[in-house]
Amino acid sequence: MYKALFSAARTVVAVIVAWWLIVILARVPAYLLPAPDAIASRFLFLAGNADLGQHIRVTLGEVVIGFLIGGILGVALGWGFVRLPRVGRLLSPLILLLQTAPKIAIAPLLLLWLGIDMGPKVTLIAIVTFFPVMAGAMAGFSSVETSYRDLAILLKLSPWQRFRRVELPFSLPPIFAGLRIGSTQAVTAAVVGELMGATYGLGYLLSLGQENGDASVVIVAILLLSTMGWAFHELIRMIERRALRWHVSQRSLEAAL
Amino acid sequence: MIQIRGVHKEFAVDGAKVTALSPTDLDVRRGEFVSIIGPSGCGKSTLLRIVAGLETASGGTIAMTEARSPAQRVGFVFQEPVLLPWLTALENVRFPLDTAGVARQEAEDVASRLLRLVGLAGFENALPRTLSGGMRQRVSIARALSYDPLLLLMDEPFGALDLITRDRLNDELLAIWSETRKTVIFVTHSVEEAAYLSDRVIVMSPRPGAIRSIYEVDFPRPRGEATKLDPAFHHLMANLRRDLQ
Repeated sequence: MYKALFSAARTVVAVIVAWWLIVILARVPAYLLPAPDAIASRFLFLAGNADLGQHIRVTLGEVVIGFLIGGILGVALGWGFVRLPRVGRLLSPLILLLQTAPKIAIAPLLLLWLGIDMGPKVTLIAIVTFFPVMAGAMAGFSSVETSYRDLAILLKLSPWQRFRRVELPFSLPPIFAGLRIGSTQAVTAAVVGELMGATYGLGYLLSLGQENGDASVVIVAILLLSTMGWAFHELIRMIERRALRWHVSQRSLEAAL
Repeated sequence: MIQIRGVHKEFAVDGAKVTALSPTDLDVRRGEFVSIIGPSGCGKSTLLRIVAGLETASGGTIAMTEARSPAQRVGFVFQEPVLLPWLTALENVRFPLDTAGVARQEAEDVASRLLRLVGLAGFENALPRTLSGGMRQRVSIARALSYDPLLLLMDEPFGALDLITRDRLNDELLAIWSETRKTVIFVTHSVEEAAYLSDRVIVMSPRPGAIRSIYEVDFPRPRGEATKLDPAFHHLMANLRRDLQ
């Protein structure tokens, strides 16, 4: 973890230095690409202004709520479809259609239906996260060996015990793979939703900067968004490492990172 | 303690009726060690799974006397250990107690006593993947004993182990059996294992699966290397082999 942070910090410093050099040496006009110090002072100005905190809070809130709903829905539907294959066959074309439709095309519809507040953004985030989670959950639940079903019958486990104590832990590795994919897409979905219409949020800040021709605001918003996405992904990884300490997959990853 | 009367099992494959087990009668006494031996497809595992409630018979009755309650669970040991890989050895053994709502401390005491009984003291906190195949199967046996079932069903429990480990586990199983006084039904396809362990050996023949012969085995206990050198032991094995032809 610390090693990963260190190498990330090294990369960031290198990029900032290169950026600075390019701006100075190539004399890039500030309205196209402001120098890093201009971004920093813009960030401090925005941070001093109470609104930046509010923008971050709104986007983060949407991401967390949407991601939780999408994750829970993905696991529940994945489990249901494995348990009831007939329902799965009936619903899967519908779900696939929902997934293949460009999210950016769904967003205006959601805004029309759910208004301009968090509703449509949370829905959009839930839509993009639930799919990889559901795919992982289905892979996991359908590969639990039948001898474990026998064990559950012998021990007279309740359906909930069977799910919570046998099937879910077995399925966690592919579920976490889905959660990680979902976590990187959640922030993107939040921005897409906010760009379509919002009163707060980093995506809204982005469009505000564009309207005012202020590149530094746009860049501040981008940096905050990517940091948020990165942090969110790392948080999921951390939870995964703790939850799957028993699993072989964590040994090779531990060595790789 | 268990009376099996006319239990049979048929199923359909592509519309054709296949008989897995012809009507079978079998009585097992309390505390008895009974082995069922036969080639693959003779229905021995089917019979065991029906007794365990994992499969339903097409007909016949199974009466369990002395069952303490209808919810009484039977102990079952599979060919594979079927352990939960995210739980330690101790947690695996106490799993049936935890899910049945037994108090923490009590479950802990029972589980560590059983791990000692199967020779795994000191491995309480080991995850299954760090244990050898033989050790995992011992954990599995301890788990099957954790809720103190009257009847222990074993479905080729040592079939996947090497011969040396298997011999050792056979001796340990006899020690565990004499200490816990469980009634054991043991399915195997090893003639030697059946002859060495049992009070009675049931030989089954395939297609359709049915009991072919029954042997009373009265070698003195405790059994050991001397049993395996006894000419009567070899005579029994020869008979079993002949019946399996």
